Amino acid sequence: MAIKFGGEFEVKRSPEEVYDFLTTPQKFGPLLPDFQGMSVQDPTHFTVKVNVGVSYIKGAAEVKMVLAEAERPRRAKYTGQGSVPGGGANIVAGFDLAGANGGTKVTWSGEAQVLGRLASIAGGLLEPLGKKNVQKLIDALQAALTAGGNVAAAPAQVPPPDGSASMAS
Amino acid sequence: MADQDKSNGQKRWVGQRVPRKEEGRLLRGQGKFIDDIKLREMLYLAFVRSPYAHARVVNVNTSAAEALPGVAAVLTGREVESLTSPFIEIGPDQCQKIADYPMAGSKARFQGEPVAAVVAESPRLAEDAAELVQVDYDPLPAVTDAEQAEKNESILHENAGTNVVWRGVFEYGDVEKAFREAASVVEIDRLHFHRFSSTPLEPNVIIAQWDNKDGRLYYWCNNSFPSFAIQFLAPHLRIHIDQIRVQTFDIGGSFGIKITNYTQMAVCALASRKCGGRPVKWVETRTEHMLSSAHGNERTFLNTRVALDKNGVITAIDSRHIDDCGAYPRYEPLGCVIWSQVFPGVYRFRNAKIDFTQVVTNKCPVGPNRGYSRMQHLWFLERICDICAHELKIPADEMRLRNYIRPEEMPYTTPNGCVYDSGNYPKMLEVGKKLIGWDEWKRKQAEARKDGRLIGIGIGTTLDSGTNNFGQSQIINPYAPFSGNSQGANVKLDIYGEIVVAVGSCPQGQGHETTAAQIVADLLNVTPDLITVRTGFDTERNVHTGFSGTYASQFAVSGLSAVHGAAQKLKKEMLRLAAFTLNAKEDELELGIGAQGPEVRVRGTERSIPYGGLANIVNVNSAVMPEELHEITLNCRYIWRAPFKVPDKAKKYGNLTLTYASQLHIAVLEVDRDTYVPRILDYVAVDDCGTVINPPIVEGQVYGATAHGIGAALMEGCFYDEVGNMLTSTFSDYTPITSVNMPNVKFGDIQTPSPHSFNGAKGMGEGGAAPIHTLSAALQDALFDKGIIIDDSFNNGDRVYHLMQQAGKGKKPARVKPRAVPA
Repeated sequence: MAIKFGGEFEVKRSPEEVYDFLTTPQKFGPLLPDFQGMSVQDPTHFTVKVNVGVSYIKGAAEVKMVLAEAERPRRAKYTGQGSVPGGGANIVAGFDLAGANGGTKVTWSGEAQVLGRLASIAGGLLEPLGKKNVQKLIDALQAALTAGGNVAAAPAQVPPPDGSASMAS
Repeated sequence: MADQDKSNGQKRWVGQRVPRKEEGRLLRGQGKFIDDIKLREMLYLAFVRSPYAHARVVNVNTSAAEALPGVAAVLTGREVESLTSPFIEIGPDQCQKIADYPMAGSKARFQGEPVAAVVAESPRLAEDAAELVQVDYDPLPAVTDAEQAEKNESILHENAGTNVVWRGVFEYGDVEKAFREAASVVEIDRLHFHRFSSTPLEPNVIIAQWDNKDGRLYYWCNNSFPSFAIQFLAPHLRIHIDQIRVQTFDIGGSFGIKITNYTQMAVCALASRKCGGRPVKWVETRTEHMLSSAHGNERTFLNTRVALDKNGVITAIDSRHIDDCGAYPRYEPLGCVIWSQVFPGVYRFRNAKIDFTQVVTNKCPVGPNRGYSRMQHLWFLERICDICAHELKIPADEMRLRNYIRPEEMPYTTPNGCVYDSGNYPKMLEVGKKLIGWDEWKRKQAEARKDGRLIGIGIGTTLDSGTNNFGQSQIINPYAPFSGNSQGANVKLDIYGEIVVAVGSCPQGQGHETTAAQIVADLLNVTPDLITVRTGFDTERNVHTGFSGTYASQFAVSGLSAVHGAAQKLKKEMLRLAAFTLNAKEDELELGIGAQGPEVRVRGTERSIPYGGLANIVNVNSAVMPEELHEITLNCRYIWRAPFKVPDKAKKYGNLTLTYASQLHIAVLEVDRDTYVPRILDYVAVDDCGTVINPPIVEGQVYGATAHGIGAALMEGCFYDEVGNMLTSTFSDYTPITSVNMPNVKFGDIQTPSPHSFNGAKGMGEGGAAPIHTLSAALQDALFDKGIIIDDSFNNGDRVYHLMQQAGKGKKPARVKPRAVPA
């Protein structure tokens, strides 16, 4: 099951600043919805732990992210592979940057390929849920860039005991 | 209860409504199923499965799982590859290059394929530890469509170099001449038989113990064809076949699907060996079963042409078929030839050309699901007959009558050399029409149509070919070492005179205990309750042959012929011994129930000896026996062999099956105009399985097959998305049929005894998927006026909605081309 997404926004930061933010795992990683923690292997490889909760599939997913394309200051592209027991997702997310109105226009697009039980059990839920989470990521990115990009030290979100603040929330 | 035989006053049990001997045990919850078995020091196995339909397995990290307290071992696919040889492939050439292991080593080829197995002290611990196994995958393009697979753009098995498993042309008669001379030709672009399964109540369960004390491998499992399974397992595990002991007990449904659980049997064995010989149990979950056990074959029928004469009689068929067997052939490509057991179905055409191809795709491997391979072909033939009838405006019943093989032509040799033993299809139609009230429904339908209601009446005629000739495997692979068919049984008088029957079948509700007892009761002139029948497969009982198990609608013929043969041998020995002890001639003796129970007596006298007396002499009092009687054991084994020959491989010609039971169903169906859901208004099932041994057992199997068929036609499907995610891996999504979805089925039967079995019975039980043909036909009748051709075997409300939306748009999928009628 493929979920495609895309859009654009503008921020009052130069393309170089936006590019540097996007390609710094410590800054970009925590923006992922339901972020729990991360480990950085090298400048282009990092693993993010996020909460997952769709239907009765609940738990933590490890998403292995790779900065697959980095063309300063015009383009950055991430690929990711996440897995939960019996399922997972492959993610591709690209950001094209262009100067605009004294800032940067960020054109983003991507695709999430959902696999396994997630797709079979929650197929109908996934598209709106995926789009909601992508929007959350973009909103957080926009907010961080507007705020000066000072989000690298953001504490991990603590989910409530019932896990309701996970992807399904 | 029993009939009196007028010739000799003996009671006859065959044909009577004898209550099932199994019932008391099963209904009281006293059945013995594999998960009921608990062994000392038993461990539990859980699989780690690929979420990808097609991916390279880059790395499997088991360290976290192994570190979990209570985990005994972890097996990976690569480890299994290093310890074993690939499973035998039945097919030729490229099939032989496929390396099939029970777990993926370097590449996963369907979603749900095991890549690792964790063994732990408890089932829950094993599941938790399985979640700690980290697998890195490199995804590859998935092929989920058979026509796409045939293009070989993404190849599943690189060694084979192609996704095509087998291809062959079955051609008989003079097809082109028939088309030249046809009064009309109907063309059908594409028909599709969908993928579904039979969802047994009990999923696969296996206990394996590779005992390091004697080096033997012990299985307690619910495989339904264990004699075949051990032929796959021994070379795979690199051991002698005699090292393996397999026992089966009660089985909670198989429908053929459990034939292929030998792959998991292999993993459990290796896990046991790795754990020092401790027994290892694996209980499949429902989702695992749906995702990765076995499905039924999916088949696409392309570019079909049908030639008909001026009376609507089909004279020739030309078509190309592509069968999708999933990721590994396993029991396939036998399905590439098994359909030809019913090559013309119930119809008389003599000219046909079927170009048949089977491919692998990134989906769950298929198994011999109820009606295996034949139901797809029979559905195809029924669709042809039905579409032609509508296109030529011939009433559905009339079309059948014009095309049926006639009863006076029986035994009937088909164009490919199969011999239909008996049958009377017009009579079945007559019985079915009477039961459903055909004329009345036709009147109601006409009235309802005036109000715009979408009511259809459909007929499905099908065959249930039983006792197959394994020689057909040589049509697929001339070097295949299989032909004929056989079954073994043992009947003995035990030390105290009990009659004990053992047979190498694995019943799953077919009533083998009861029907075997009825056969022996008639021969030994006792009541069935005095006979103990040991069913369930056990290699150590020595009553099996290489074909023993329960599959292919055959127990009434192969199993009971073996029982009958063994009981006859026993009776002969009993009479010989009794003649000696009673100082009489054998032809003066009779068997019956006396004051002290079963006895042999001298007719018209009071001289007799109880069965227990005979058993006493042979077993514990043998000094009284003269030397010339020493060969008497009262423990008689008999192997029945079907009278088959190896088919002509080049011509694809020969008798492939011994008996042909037939079914005719009629359904009245209405499509809800708001929800598009098809609802059954009336339903009739007429069965002919020759001489009926036990009517309620036959009726029960007809109801079961009808339920499966209705479920498949209207509710159930194994559907995948474009990347190979199975979208129906839970019962919530698969929506199997339940009792609340079942219509009231009116049952009828006729009996045309088979000349090919000792008592006229034919194998039955699979049912030929009659409801799928019938409901497609009923829908066709309901929707033909809307310009709709029913071209798929699956038709739920959603699909009917889409058919209605697409009606009249684009090219019509079936067309009639009238031709100049030859002089």
